[in-house]
Amino acid sequence: MNKPSCLHIDPRTGLLLLVMSNILAFIQPSFPLELGWIIFLCLLTALCGCGKAAVKWLLVFGLILCLQFYILPASPKLIATGCSIFANYTRRMLSCAIVGMLMVKRTPLRELIVGLRTWHFPQKLIVAVSVTLRYFPAIREETGYIRDAMKLRNIHGLQKVEALVVPLMISATSTAEELSAAAVTRGIENPAPKTSVVELRLNAADWTCIVTGVLFTAASYLTS
Amino acid sequence: MSSNRLSRGLNGKDLITVGIFSAVYFVINFAFMLLSALHPILWILMPGFIAVFSGIPFLLMCTKVQKPGGVLLMGVITGLIYFVTGMFTVIILVTFVIACALAELSRAMMKYASFKGNLAAFVMFSLGMTGSPLPIWLTRDSFFAQISSQGMPESYIETLKAISSPTMLIVLFAAPVIGAFIGAYIAKGMFKKHFIKAGIV
Repeated sequence: MNKPSCLHIDPRTGLLLLVMSNILAFIQPSFPLELGWIIFLCLLTALCGCGKAAVKWLLVFGLILCLQFYILPASPKLIATGCSIFANYTRRMLSCAIVGMLMVKRTPLRELIVGLRTWHFPQKLIVAVSVTLRYFPAIREETGYIRDAMKLRNIHGLQKVEALVVPLMISATSTAEELSAAAVTRGIENPAPKTSVVELRLNAADWTCIVTGVLFTAASYLTS
Repeated sequence: MSSNRLSRGLNGKDLITVGIFSAVYFVINFAFMLLSALHPILWILMPGFIAVFSGIPFLLMCTKVQKPGGVLLMGVITGLIYFVTGMFTVIILVTFVIACALAELSRAMMKYASFKGNLAAFVMFSLGMTGSPLPIWLTRDSFFAQISSQGMPESYIETLKAISSPTMLIVLFAAPVIGAFIGAYIAKGMFKKHFIKAGIV
């Protein structure tokens, strides 16, 4: 999965970058700092082997800026209001989305679990959160199948909602049962401390990311 | 020692069940969160809409996990994922914690298996989402100053100011209560119509 030439960042670094992106979104840094942070994150994404995604993010950012500064002030009022709120939200969430996407693509859930364990998160919370994260793609898959089935049977209107929700809930319930049976067999309830083959270590790249993030956060805090 | 604690509290199966239904709940929640960006009134009614549509996953989770801590864990997971999406404020954290605590309390007092207890818990839990638009009233001046400095359009701010009267504050809190009742009764109907027949509750 990991190409040897790519950078590989520690899940803990990813989480720290997420926290800092959140703080930055909250304090609203000045434009040069915001631009710098986005470029830094895109660079990191590219170095981690997602060059295409990095370019895409930069394009999205450029598009939002264009929309906010050039297109929307000149467009009709009704469209302008709706779109500018959307552009605004997207711009605020963009840095979080970049880090989030990078983690989803490059950090295996197993590593994230070990990372959270080294930070002494309660084991119960780790189990529940990792199941939740793993179940999101499953929901998408399920809804795809259900939609296909609905097309075959020609279901319309309000019935559609019921026909989507009921199978989704039933499959969620049965997945919960099957998954718990498997997890209990594999010793999820074993009270002994868990071990893992994955060994996490923060290397130079991780420290660079963390220090850069802290510098950006401090700079935007001081200038705001 | 810790195995003792495990058997009394949530066990592995409960954790997985809560995890899965939290994912379903979060998807519904997030969809309405995105929808609420369209118009300010949708934002204020958002907690109510979420309550109407999330009744089924919440009550299904409650029937599967009849133990203290399930609702709290669901709230914590939702909060954690919201934190990741960058849409998290201190106020929403506070309302979430209070809502989950009250929900746990009402479940504990009215027995975990009763529909009434779960309904009360669902009302409390739904009220937690009011923390999202609450800053409009709570920190009014700094909130409007902040969103206008973020570049929100003048017309949006004007509409938001116009509709966020004190009476709207009552609507904000009434909507999730009414929504939770509707959501819970939809869920009850669905349970009768489908889930009991399918043998999953």
